[in-house]
Amino acid sequence: MRAIAIARASGRRVLRDHVALFFLIVLPIVVIVIVGAVAQGFNTFRVGVIDLDGTQASRQLVAELSHASGLAVSDYPNLTSLEKAVGRSEISAGVVIPRGLSSDERRGRAVTVAVMAEQANSTQQAAATQVTSVVDDFGGKVQAAQFATRYGGSFTQDLSRAAFLESSTPRVKLTSRVVQTSQGSLPPGYEYSAPTELVLFVFLMAIASGATIVETRRLGMFERMSAAPVRPRTIIAGESVTYILIAAGQSLVIVAIGALVFGVSWGNPLAAGALLILWCLVGAGAGMVAGTFFRTPEQASAMGPVIGIVFAMLGGCMWPLSIVSRTMREIGHATPQAWAVDAWTSLLSNHGDIVTISRDLGVLALFALGFFALATFRLKAMLAARGA
Amino acid sequence: MRTALAIARKDLRQRIRDRSAIVVGVIAPVAIAGLMSLAFNGMNSFHFTLGLVELDHGPVAVELAKALDAPQLRQVITVSEVSSTALARAEIKSGYLGAALVIPAGFSAAVTGEHPESLTTLSSNDGSIVGSVTTSIASSFVAQVNADRLAFATALAAGAPRGDAAQLIGVVSKLHIPLQAVQQAVGAHELKVISYYSPGMGVFFLLFTINYASRSFFVDRSQGMIERMRAAPVSPVEILLGKALSVFVYGVVSLATIGVVTTAAFGADWGAPLPAALVGLALVFSVICLTALVIGVARTQRQAEGISSILVFGLALLGGDFFFISSAPSTIKHLALLTPNGWAIRGFTDLATIGGGLGTIVEPVVAILVISAVIGAIALSLARRAVTA
Repeated sequence: MRAIAIARASGRRVLRDHVALFFLIVLPIVVIVIVGAVAQGFNTFRVGVIDLDGTQASRQLVAELSHASGLAVSDYPNLTSLEKAVGRSEISAGVVIPRGLSSDERRGRAVTVAVMAEQANSTQQAAATQVTSVVDDFGGKVQAAQFATRYGGSFTQDLSRAAFLESSTPRVKLTSRVVQTSQGSLPPGYEYSAPTELVLFVFLMAIASGATIVETRRLGMFERMSAAPVRPRTIIAGESVTYILIAAGQSLVIVAIGALVFGVSWGNPLAAGALLILWCLVGAGAGMVAGTFFRTPEQASAMGPVIGIVFAMLGGCMWPLSIVSRTMREIGHATPQAWAVDAWTSLLSNHGDIVTISRDLGVLALFALGFFALATFRLKAMLAARGA
Repeated sequence: MRTALAIARKDLRQRIRDRSAIVVGVIAPVAIAGLMSLAFNGMNSFHFTLGLVELDHGPVAVELAKALDAPQLRQVITVSEVSSTALARAEIKSGYLGAALVIPAGFSAAVTGEHPESLTTLSSNDGSIVGSVTTSIASSFVAQVNADRLAFATALAAGAPRGDAAQLIGVVSKLHIPLQAVQQAVGAHELKVISYYSPGMGVFFLLFTINYASRSFFVDRSQGMIERMRAAPVSPVEILLGKALSVFVYGVVSLATIGVVTTAAFGADWGAPLPAALVGLALVFSVICLTALVIGVARTQRQAEGISSILVFGLALLGGDFFFISSAPSTIKHLALLTPNGWAIRGFTDLATIGGGLGTIVEPVVAILVISAVIGAIALSLARRAVTA
């Protein structure tokens, strides 16, 4: 009963704080939207095109580039903007279709299409390879049309003929086969941003909430409670209930908005529920630890976000751990975030269930227990030191 | 001026006494930038191991293997010979191979025949682009063969005599694709992860100064410090100037330290020192204006903390401190240019990639100053009221 009374008092204090509500709900949603829009996966190269010829032939080449798998093509108004876009890495390559392409093709002349890419930049080299392949393919039809005009028809007629015959002419084909592998990262888009930002913000908010506990401590409320007498364990339990409920509320809002607005499938419901509960416990435990370690509320407000962001980076909330070195991956697993993201990856990318993620859940349970034990120990020590 | 300096000195002393100032101003941004550098060490480039399953051993297959070893492709792929398709699949599953190219038995013999064999590419289902890059590499190699076949078929359709097929094949085999893609350098450097996130994190934590400085103002006011200063008598302008100076010195020292440390320790490229310094100074000026705005808008310390926190995270998110703004959709890219930190990051990354000197940063610096002037004008009237209240 005493724990519930403490929880009610703490909860009222947090819910009165409108700024805290902004960080609890609004900020995570904004981040999910932005990160979801940016993290679209690395399955296309962005290529900029400037068509200086503006003829049907050049437009056809632009269309072939646009339809090529692995290329996302956008038009640029002039050479300067195209060069700047390549320089800033906004695009992986710039394609300049020269003036006179169409007339040179008709006259049987060779045409050079410039592909802007740096020799030393391997991403740009890979994009240039994709563009070269499309240009070669298009050039094959031009070669056929130029050659066929020796025997009849105009260049335009023979180009249409070549385009028509392309599919029926026996050619060396390239067959793509997919090897099914277990996914090491979350799917791109909102299915990436929603679970990772949930993990990030529940923890970050819990740590930052440590400021409120520090304030409570500074006001001598814990000593007064101890004099009531209330045991440190009860005080920790009471404060924890508040933060567990806040974390649960925040998680549920993110889950609901993720599912309803962004169409995120949160995987197996039982496993996802267990994971959410444990993550709320981990967050609340970490918040309690922060509340007993920081000396001033200012320190908690300043350091909370830093710790939260660093843990999120190490734990794979800012980028998938599958792309970093093995050492960084191992270091990352010293944080609870890595285990939570692993579990979400299993649920969302590999159709995992509660059995598949049982190890991750076990580790998270240990983290939660460890945090609460540490917080209780610290609070006991503090009260003992003040003779409470 | 002396009074303003005294106020600035007092604020700075207070700031430095609080250890979190050093953590937020220097240690955290350097640590986070360093962490990113470690995480992405060797990840700046697009490179994968391509398994080559060579089951043909004919002349065309040998040529294809040679083509895969071309100098321009070495940047993108490392070729590793694999004895069978099954092994290639297993190595793709294990992650050792990014993709594989299978040259089937009899490929060379059939390449000019009626029924040429297909080349097969294998890649994983992780949505990565290595599969289509592999297809492009192989496709470029067979492009001339396919173009010649198409030229032969089109010529026949256009009226070439079928009886002269053998002669026609001879002529076709000497043709060259008339459209050539030729690479051209733009003279830009690759943007390394550390060169993006060092300024990104430096700028993000610099924005936290708004939080501290505005809170410090309200603490001073609640303790009657401002009233006592006014009674001294010190004018509101001097008080504001003193506060602004402390923010300026703290901001400049913080950003400069992050710049030097990340350059020396992690090889971050902030561009030429003078233009980079000018971008930094313009940004610090905008932070002063934003602080004044918060002081002007807020009524209490709690409000100041709340408004500044929302402002800091809002600006950092929009400005691209947390993610490569160049990868963002165009709407987000445009929104970034409404923020001073977005322009500062553009300035720093332009210096690191496009290079150049003062000319490169004219646009970002002017943009930051214009945004600051607008914020400053609004803030000045509001902040004056806060001091005289």
